[in-house]
Amino acid sequence: MDYSIDELISVCISRQIEDHEVVAQGIATPLVAAGYLLAKMTHAPDVTFLSAIGQALCRDWAPLGVATIEELWIGRGLLTVSFVQAACDLLPRFGPKEFFRPGQVDPCGNFNNVYIGGSYETPRLRLPGSGGIPDVTVFEENVLLYVPRHGRHTFVEQLDFKSGLGHDTQRRAGRGPRYLVSDLGQFDFEPQSGRMRLISLHPGVTLRRVQAKTGFELLVSDKLLETVPPTERELKLLREAIDPLGVRTLETLSGAARRERLRALLQKERLQLSEGEFHADRHLF
Amino acid sequence: MDKTKSLDEAVLLVQDGDTLALGGMTIYRRPVAFVHALITRDNPPQDLTLLAFTGGFASDLLVGAGLIRRSRTCYFGLETFGLAPMFTQAVREGRLEIIEESEASIACGLRATMAGVGFMPSRAWQGTDMLRVRPDVMTICDPYSDERLTAFPAIDCDVAVIHVLRADRSGNAVLGGNPTIDLELSMVAKRLILTAETVEDELPGPIDLPGLAVTAVVHAPRGAWPTSCYPAYPIDGEAILDYISACNAGQFSNYLLTSWIQ
Repeated sequence: MDYSIDELISVCISRQIEDHEVVAQGIATPLVAAGYLLAKMTHAPDVTFLSAIGQALCRDWAPLGVATIEELWIGRGLLTVSFVQAACDLLPRFGPKEFFRPGQVDPCGNFNNVYIGGSYETPRLRLPGSGGIPDVTVFEENVLLYVPRHGRHTFVEQLDFKSGLGHDTQRRAGRGPRYLVSDLGQFDFEPQSGRMRLISLHPGVTLRRVQAKTGFELLVSDKLLETVPPTERELKLLREAIDPLGVRTLETLSGAARRERLRALLQKERLQLSEGEFHADRHLF
Repeated sequence: MDKTKSLDEAVLLVQDGDTLALGGMTIYRRPVAFVHALITRDNPPQDLTLLAFTGGFASDLLVGAGLIRRSRTCYFGLETFGLAPMFTQAVREGRLEIIEESEASIACGLRATMAGVGFMPSRAWQGTDMLRVRPDVMTICDPYSDERLTAFPAIDCDVAVIHVLRADRSGNAVLGGNPTIDLELSMVAKRLILTAETVEDELPGPIDLPGLAVTAVVHAPRGAWPTSCYPAYPIDGEAILDYISACNAGQFSNYLLTSWIQ
């Protein structure tokens, strides 16, 4: 069965989730939401979500939306807290597993979501900011990364700013990222050196291509694998139950193409809403 | 006590040099009608410090209109819709001072203010570059364990504006969704303004925000548009995309004058 790269990334994310875990989702990360929900519907029925939107511990969920993105979690919380409580109490207490998308990542899994190029005071590109990344990466054991568009601008030898702590000599607690998935392959971090190591190539991708698109020397596992493609069941769940609208495709696009796709998705979403078929127990939206 | 005021009266509560906090989150339940009225009032306030858990649509309007001198948020963008155009441009041109924050630094700073102490300790930031760009944030030694901790300083707020689903005349309110940091903001702000989809005589409870500290309650139906106000209305994604297109074409001022249809 044919699949797209966004589907493969969500499936890889799903396969990193174990049953009974608490998993956290940040904002604007539909590939992660899709992956977590896929895990819940397949091998990890007992996961609990800690969501940035709605600030709640949830087990129930709704399909992914754009204008109605809040439907995914709000009103479904087992326990709703303020973001102050989430940051000070829940995140340190539960240490959830979380996938982050770095603006830049270095060979040891340190990463940057603050600025790229120029200086801190007058950057070439100011990124939105670090959210909770410099808070949780300094003590958590379960940090994972994903990069929807693998390129030398993201995989860099030297970061412009270290907002996420990797396998770094400065570290006093927790551990650096365990895993990274991109649109080209899957990686871990070699235990001794803490350096990024290619462990699996996605179907059709060559080692040469991954190295050419990476701004530093990659370690390569002795047992380099090929990523197992999504199964028919995984694809069916992603397309029909979790994300019938196709929100997961946004993260693999940028600029004008992304805005064009957004307009198409918003139109489709509004049509589904007016026809009342989007979500069976949707109330006021 | 009846605290209801008109939007025009309420925007006069923001003064030059204030730290202005916005409730809600990024593109959810933001006080957009208030911000628009603030920008278009006679002699809009200058030299403001923006405080928001996340900066989003409303914050970008304030930056674009030149009201903000410095910004303290842990994220500033439009989530799935992309970068916040006026923020991104202002930082690139060195016109906006940033007080770099994270979730923990804002959360701990608010808790310190609420507790009446100068700081709250945390494990956050140790080993990252955050401490380098915030030389005012001190590292301390835990007197019991000797662990190195970050002492996040208390955060002050002159005026907070929070959009809510329902309020009553004395300022008790129901948020609707996304608590974010609104309860904490309501407890640290010296002046507190609520804008509300509906204003009733008296809410029966339970409520999310107590009216005790509220200065003004403003009836502002669709006052969060084009951000959402759950569960009354979702995000108006097309309007946000139109805003981004206008800004990218250098038409920010024009957008405020001609495209503002609520």
